[in-house]
Amino acid sequence: MMFSSRLFKLEFTRSLKSLITWSLSIGLTMVFVIVLYPMVIDIYSAIPAEYQAFLDAFGGVPHNVVEYYATEGVMMLQLFGGIFAALEGYNALNRDDKEKTVECIYQLPYSRTAILTTKLVKVIVNVLVFSIVVYFMSILSFLVIGESYDGGDFLLFNVYNTIMFLMLAILGFVLVVFMKPTQKSMGAIAFPFVFYIISVISSVTNNETLELLKHVTPFTFANPVDILKLGADFEWISFVVFTGLSILLTVAAYWRFQKREFTV
Amino acid sequence: MYAISITSLKKYYGKTRGLENASLDVKEGEIYGFVGPNGSGKTTLTRILLGLIHSTSGEAKIFDQDVTKASVLLNRQIGYLPSEAFFFPEMKVKDVFRFFQEMRKVDDSRIVELVKRFDIDMNKTMDQLSFGNKKKVGIVVALLHNPKLLILDEPTTGLDPLMQQIFLDLLVEEKKKGVTVFLSSHILSEVEKVCDRVALIRDGIIYQVFEMNDIAQLENKKVSLFPSLEGELPDGMTFLKEEDGLSHYSYIGDINSLLKRLSGQTFEKCNIRDASLEEIFIQYYQKEGATNDVL
Repeated sequence: MMFSSRLFKLEFTRSLKSLITWSLSIGLTMVFVIVLYPMVIDIYSAIPAEYQAFLDAFGGVPHNVVEYYATEGVMMLQLFGGIFAALEGYNALNRDDKEKTVECIYQLPYSRTAILTTKLVKVIVNVLVFSIVVYFMSILSFLVIGESYDGGDFLLFNVYNTIMFLMLAILGFVLVVFMKPTQKSMGAIAFPFVFYIISVISSVTNNETLELLKHVTPFTFANPVDILKLGADFEWISFVVFTGLSILLTVAAYWRFQKREFTV
Repeated sequence: MYAISITSLKKYYGKTRGLENASLDVKEGEIYGFVGPNGSGKTTLTRILLGLIHSTSGEAKIFDQDVTKASVLLNRQIGYLPSEAFFFPEMKVKDVFRFFQEMRKVDDSRIVELVKRFDIDMNKTMDQLSFGNKKKVGIVVALLHNPKLLILDEPTTGLDPLMQQIFLDLLVEEKKKGVTVFLSSHILSEVEKVCDRVALIRDGIIYQVFEMNDIAQLENKKVSLFPSLEGELPDGMTFLKEEDGLSHYSYIGDINSLLKRLSGQTFEKCNIRDASLEEIFIQYYQKEGATNDVL
């Protein structure tokens, strides 16, 4: 058996409180940002011209609610959502070490591969649930303020964003396999920040070398301004790099996990 | 076929020795004690048997199957009680049992029986339980699927004397049903009560394997005298210490020879008794440069 539905149920139930908290917190943040749109739209026209250039570096002045969402709301969604995803992946395995439940889980008649797969599926499901909740709360907010928006682009952005979250979750998941069991979860919180900062640096710089950094962060192919405002071409390189990396690291994690020593 | 068969098993954690060239065989249906002080390698061996860690070299088999290759199959037949039983802290005891029952695909008749026997409160969450009560939950989890082999790491630590007795009685019952028990412990009184054989381990090395019947027949005595024995000590007699106004000796040999030697002197106090397993154990562990002899 490569998967245990009973273990999945246990893992999912145990993570439900955290999933609800994160989904509602980020979802409500998006609601709050979007419903403020009718009140803040006039502010943009009052911004002095010398600040406009600075705003351009972060997506420029929005001309409709979706552009406003892309420039003002998504930063929080991607940053905190990225941290949620990375922690979700990290804690799926690290929690057994932390709570010393390793011996009780791995004495069961299931292979390490089955246990790892079950936990990975739980991580994927949680990230999908999180993304769907936030997506529908955002849609609801657009409807509440009565603003029209391009549903296709909005959906497309959310699909790319969810893929990026899944990649961050996988990186967090894999990190545990290669780290000592006693390691704290700070590492999982840190790397979404690092990728985000790389994406900001690569987008604000005029240096051609630094611009190349955009290929080594998953935030590039899920860039909200490119997708929702500029309608730019899809960033294939960043997507392929991180898809390849995620697959490669997942395979490595399965291999490494067979050799892992449970000494907690 | 042995229930457990270990040959030249070695485990190093980097440069630190966990287990050195350990070999032992546990027969099916016996209760086998594995005794040693903390850090001696008991838990290392237990974890290798369960496939939680991997040996550096050597071979470990359970029911003739390599533990590294057949861990899923073997885990169906093994009930394991860790020295500290950790379960999901926020879950109620009954939910923990339900989880393991469903994972093991067994009915709840055995759980009901064991819960009654160990007087477990099913409605408390795991983090509300004391160390001893968590241990009782661990005992039920180890036994609920009627395993053929029980691997128990310090099983009675944390249990009150009444529960210890109930648990030891349960082990004897399991043995009667044909269950093999591998019991790692440093509490010699429990080993003495239930084990058929016992292995002594120190610093990762198995020094001795005793048949409990042989220990009972060993002419290993403790002698306490006042005043102390005059003249040269007889063969097999070793002076241990002066304590409470008495001279204490150990004696290995024919009791009649000893009595004959003692009859040549007048004593105010004289006490001769069989050495306990604990005393034999301490004697071995204190012996410098003990060799890897196996009886």
